[in-house]
Order: sequence, then C-alpha cells, then structure tokens
Amino acid sequence: MRGDEARICLRTLTQPEPADTMRAMASYEPRTRRLSRAEYDRLIELGVFQPGEDIELIGGELVVAEPQGAPHYTAIRKTAKALEAAFGPGWEVRTEGPIGLDDDSEPEPDIAVVPGNPDDYARAHPSHPALTVEVAESSLAIDRQHKGSLYARAGLADYWVLNLVDRVLEVYREPAPDSEAVFGWRYARLDVFDGAARVTPLAAPGSSIAVSLLLP
Amino acid sequence: MKHAVRPGLHRWTRLEYERLIDHDFLREDDPIELLDGLLLVKEPQHSRHRTAVLLVAKALERAFGEGWFVQTQSPLILDDRSEPEPDVCVVQGVPRDYVDAHPTRPALVVEIADSSLRLARGRKAAAYARARIADYCIVNLIDRVLETHREPARPGPARRHWGYAATATHGADAAIAPLAAPSTRIPVTDLLP
Repeated sequence: MRGDEARICLRTLTQPEPADTMRAMASYEPRTRRLSRAEYDRLIELGVFQPGEDIELIGGELVVAEPQGAPHYTAIRKTAKALEAAFGPGWEVRTEGPIGLDDDSEPEPDIAVVPGNPDDYARAHPSHPALTVEVAESSLAIDRQHKGSLYARAGLADYWVLNLVDRVLEVYREPAPDSEAVFGWRYARLDVFDGAARVTPLAAPGSSIAVSLLLP
Repeated sequence: MKHAVRPGLHRWTRLEYERLIDHDFLREDDPIELLDGLLLVKEPQHSRHRTAVLLVAKALERAFGEGWFVQTQSPLILDDRSEPEPDVCVVQGVPRDYVDAHPTRPALVVEIADSSLRLARGRKAAAYARARIADYCIVNLIDRVLETHREPARPGPARRHWGYAATATHGADAAIAPLAAPSTRIPVTDLLP
C-alpha cells in the first residue's frame, strides 16, 4: 500500500504550522557548539551529565526528552512485548537504549529491535536497528520530521511512529534523499494503520502484529 | 536549519560548562560563550568589529576614570546558566579584585553588532536584563548608531521574555552619558569605526 492510499485522514498531519514568534525566533538561532558522538561518549564517561538526565545526541545537538506520561510508557512496554513475541529468539528488543547511529548522533529511541543478544552490545552500542519505534504524543512533529529524517539518513529501513494523538501506527519505509528535510533525507513511503489493522515488520516477514496490541 | 519544529536543547549549567573547560574538553580560548544554557559559537571577528571594541574600550576608560576598569571580551558571570563574554564591560574596582572569580555585576555592558544584531537585541538583551544589568549598549555597525537599553523588565503581560523597558537609538552626532558616570559625555562618533 502506497502512502497516498492511506485512507485515514490525520488531523495532525494536515495541521499547518502556527506562525508562532518563538518558532520564528528559533529559526534564527545562533549556532550552538556541536558535539561528535565520540565527544558525547567521553562526556558521559567523565560523568559531566547528571545521572538519569534524559539527553540524546541528535545531529550534533544535545536534545532533551520531554518527561513521559503514563500512556507513553505503557505504549513502550506493550510495543516491546509485542515485538519480542513477533521477532522471537535471535533478536534483542531494547527500550530507551542508546543507538550509535552515526558520527554525530546517539539517539535513544523508545524501542529498537537489533539482531543477537544483550552480550553482543557489551562493548559498543548497536548502530543499525532492524526496526525503530518512537511513541509520540507531544513529540509527534519532532518524531516525524526531525527523527524521521535522521533515521532515514542513517538508512534505517523500518521506522514506526506510534501516534497516541490519533491512535494510529505510522510506518515509514524507503529512505530517500530530500534536500528540504532536516538532515537531507526522508522516508518516501508512509503507511498508516488504525487500531483494527495488523502490521508486519520488514525484518520479521512471517509475523503479524495487531496494532491494538501496541496502543495503551 | 529551516525547519520550524525543533527539539528542545539541553541547557548547560555554568558548573557543567566549567567542568568542560577543566576536562580540556573546551579550551578557555575557544570562541564559545555560555548564554542561557546554550554553548554559542561566536562569529569570526571582522577588523571593523575589533576596531569598534578598541574605540569603545578607550572611550569608556576615559569616561569612567579611577575606581573602574574596562575589560574586553572577557567572561562575566550572570547567573547559573550564563557566562557570556561581552565585547566591552565596565567593572567597579581594580583587576586584582577578581583574581578568584569573574565579575558578576558590571556597571555597563557593550556589544558590538553587525551580523549578530538579532542575537544582541534578543537572547543577549534578555540574559543581561534577567541579571539586572542596568545599562546595556549595542554599537550597531549596520546603521552606525548606538542603542541604549535600560530599565530591566521581567516578563509579564507586555513581554514574553526578560527585556529592557527603556530603549533609545542615538545617531553619530549625539552624545551619551553612562548611568554610572552621569556627568560624562561620550560622543557616539568616538565609538564608531
């Protein structure tokens, strides 16, 4: 199913961006010092950040995560369990764990499915999840545009946004260059599934997951 | 980045910032300043900018005289999240008074701005106002005027951020008196390159 066949009309997809002054100001932000992933890892080793500080390195910028509510965390747990069942042995389902994505990014997606078992990542974070999932409420625009572009640039083949606002699963596939996108890439294909639908991860083609199992 | 939606950035505290320097992660002479928790990269300086810095420093030294000193592009501690390095500021006392800690409450802060005008009027003005800096001037190299920003004002119905309630623009033919040196007259033309 191509993106234009998705029948569900999403309020959040069609809403225009408000011409808000803070946002207009943000587009003129002065340049902040960018960090490489190696520098970021060193700062963590040095203990510069407070333990439990919710920080991700996204395209060289230190980004803070929104505090998460009960539905968000519930969705993470439900999705992790459903993916563990769908992928089975030989796969590791990580929740909110760091991914060594590229030279200037170390995001911590809500869920990432990587091959192998925990010991395989005792020395270095995984870099290329077979499936990456972000659970989105207030972070919807950032998960779609910002992280979507970042994950597409890294060539992640299967990216899901579990949209709690519209109670649908957005499945992004086929990374393609796009000079208009934040990081120069985007997903060419978007399929949207409501709570009645079932979805199959690219890397677990024999499985079928009810979207209702993921939603809180 | 032209995109409207941006994630929130981590705000560094001054303590974290100083640890970055202690760990040799940043060098003291890196062109970086901590403003409102953001590590801002300073724009490379043009000769016109540098000339204005020297002119302003000289004029202020003359105007303030004994009991004050003028520092250029040196750190200032504003609060827990800001340690900017304004182009010029006037501090009470003598340099030895600040052997153990950077100055916190200058009598006057001056920024020289061309491409950085928006930053000088926006984020920087907000940070200086929040720190209750009473007298903040911008030498605006684009319009060749001096802007005075006075009367720090907290956010409220009229304003979203900290700012200055009294701002004025002075042309090259005007003269100004700093709040802390009220009997002096500094011709604006002396400050322009």
